[in-house]
Amino acid sequence: MPEPATAYSSIGSKRWVFVGFTLIFLVCAWKLGLTPKGLIPADANHWERTGRFFAAALHPALDYEDANVPDDAEPILVKGMRGILLTLKFAFGAMSLAVPAALILGFFGSSAWWPEPCGRGTKTILRTVFMASRFLMSFLRSIHELIWALLFLSAMGVSPLAGMVALALPFSGTLGKVFSELIDEEARDAAEALKAIGHGPLQTFLVGIFPRALPNLITYSFYRFECALRSSAVLGFVGIETIGLYIQLSHEEFYYREVWTYLYLLIAMIVVVDLWGATIRRRLQTTEGGCV
Amino acid sequence: MAAHSRASRVAELERLRSRDWFLRISAFVVGGAIFWAWFTSHPLLGRLSASRRWANLQRFSEGLIPSPVRKSGDWSDALPWAWDLFTDEGFVALVTTIGIATAAIILAGALVLPFLPLASRRLSRIDPFGLRSGKASKPVEFGWRILGPLVRFVFVLSRSVPEYLIAFLLLSLLGLQVWPLVLALAIHNFGILGRLWGEVIENTDDDSAADLYVAGQGRASVYATSILPRSLNRFLIYFFYRWETCVKDATVLGMLGLLTLGKLIMLSKGFFWDRMLFYVLLGSSFILVMDLSSTWLRKRLR
Repeated sequence: MPEPATAYSSIGSKRWVFVGFTLIFLVCAWKLGLTPKGLIPADANHWERTGRFFAAALHPALDYEDANVPDDAEPILVKGMRGILLTLKFAFGAMSLAVPAALILGFFGSSAWWPEPCGRGTKTILRTVFMASRFLMSFLRSIHELIWALLFLSAMGVSPLAGMVALALPFSGTLGKVFSELIDEEARDAAEALKAIGHGPLQTFLVGIFPRALPNLITYSFYRFECALRSSAVLGFVGIETIGLYIQLSHEEFYYREVWTYLYLLIAMIVVVDLWGATIRRRLQTTEGGCV
Repeated sequence: MAAHSRASRVAELERLRSRDWFLRISAFVVGGAIFWAWFTSHPLLGRLSASRRWANLQRFSEGLIPSPVRKSGDWSDALPWAWDLFTDEGFVALVTTIGIATAAIILAGALVLPFLPLASRRLSRIDPFGLRSGKASKPVEFGWRILGPLVRFVFVLSRSVPEYLIAFLLLSLLGLQVWPLVLALAIHNFGILGRLWGEVIENTDDDSAADLYVAGQGRASVYATSILPRSLNRFLIYFFYRWETCVKDATVLGMLGLLTLGKLIMLSKGFFWDRMLFYVLLGSSFILVMDLSSTWLRKRLR
């Protein structure tokens, strides 16, 4: 009779994974000075602030907390909605640059379109292009969008284009990498059939492989759009006008209720886009969840 | 005849092609939004005049050249300069950045594990795997019905707020220390791992888990003894992937004022473009090495 499975016996050697990670965590916590005491506000001042901050969550501002705002200023909800629209605008602008760039990079970073028997010289050229494209994509995404934004704003001054390009660069790196992998992993049967009746490698790719990968590419692009929205909101912190800028400004004046108004608007927008994306995924019947 | 039937076949395929109204409307919305983004952002290049912009760009690109090289014109002077920056603060900042990311992702993973079975579409219901196990009162039935969606909604909420924003808010509540950054990354990644790991366990074939359930084990035990061990390898792939992202995000979180690369970048900005570029490249080269080696490793393992 087999021994009954217990939590201990089934996890087996895998328990070392847990033990290992616990040890790594403890070392990090020790080195960084993370103590449980740090998790609670340090003094009465911070306690008061924390209490006020979370109390404000229940009473988001429907009117400005600042008494000096002129009466004819636009209502806070209108301002918040403008922030949301600007956030959307940067995300759409950035994605409209990133997706075409990623398609080009992803094409050169995949091997699905390579002509099958080919000479040694051609192969070397193809390999070089492949490696160069892969490296470029890795480089683009190794720098965070906020840092790209800092660089661009420093070089070009504050402008909508700088914000969009800054977002688009790392996103095209990530999109391109995933695009190339999705294309390479697509089933080749249709392509083989087309090749067998005499189509060239490029035709085979454009007709036999790319259209089949398309639903997954769309799903993933939409997924990245959700990420672009969050990044676009954060661009407000380096001076570009999105909802993040409003949050920062209200927070600096300790207008916590205003902060919560903007936060709720941001969360609502992201949840709506999340649902939109989920519906598109379902309708396209793609399983690809995307690696965030 | 053949030509005719071929034409009708094409027409038939044309007719059978899926026409999803939702997808079409979505495509129009996306197209319109892109148009709107490009043609209503005035002025696209900002308010500076072209000559000011050009002067800015020149000053910036000159500033990027390491200062000793600017003085002597000899690029061999750049190496000791870079080494000084690295040993002076760069190395400590890099290690701190990695430490924050590591602590945060482990915390996030540990927090997600107990919530995963509660979010599972097969386990978190009154009849796990569709196997009814007896009668239950109305409130209990209702509780099981809303539990899964509720936990999944918590995942959505915690990943919807950008980590930078959470860190910014927590820093003012907890004061200038490392916890806010770790917590911010952990909260955000809690939602993301919840979704990614959730997909893994939904996609894992669960015959053995159902067998254990039929044999009389409870949900928690089925999860711990069958689902978790079987999914662990795929969990780890996503875990490392998110860890990489965390390192990148932790760099940037330092811009809020703590000793990671982000703080050094922020401090050098405006006066020492050369140093700023050095710190940016220091962070990015670490990510680049990680990225290339993990791609290589995955190819070898496949």
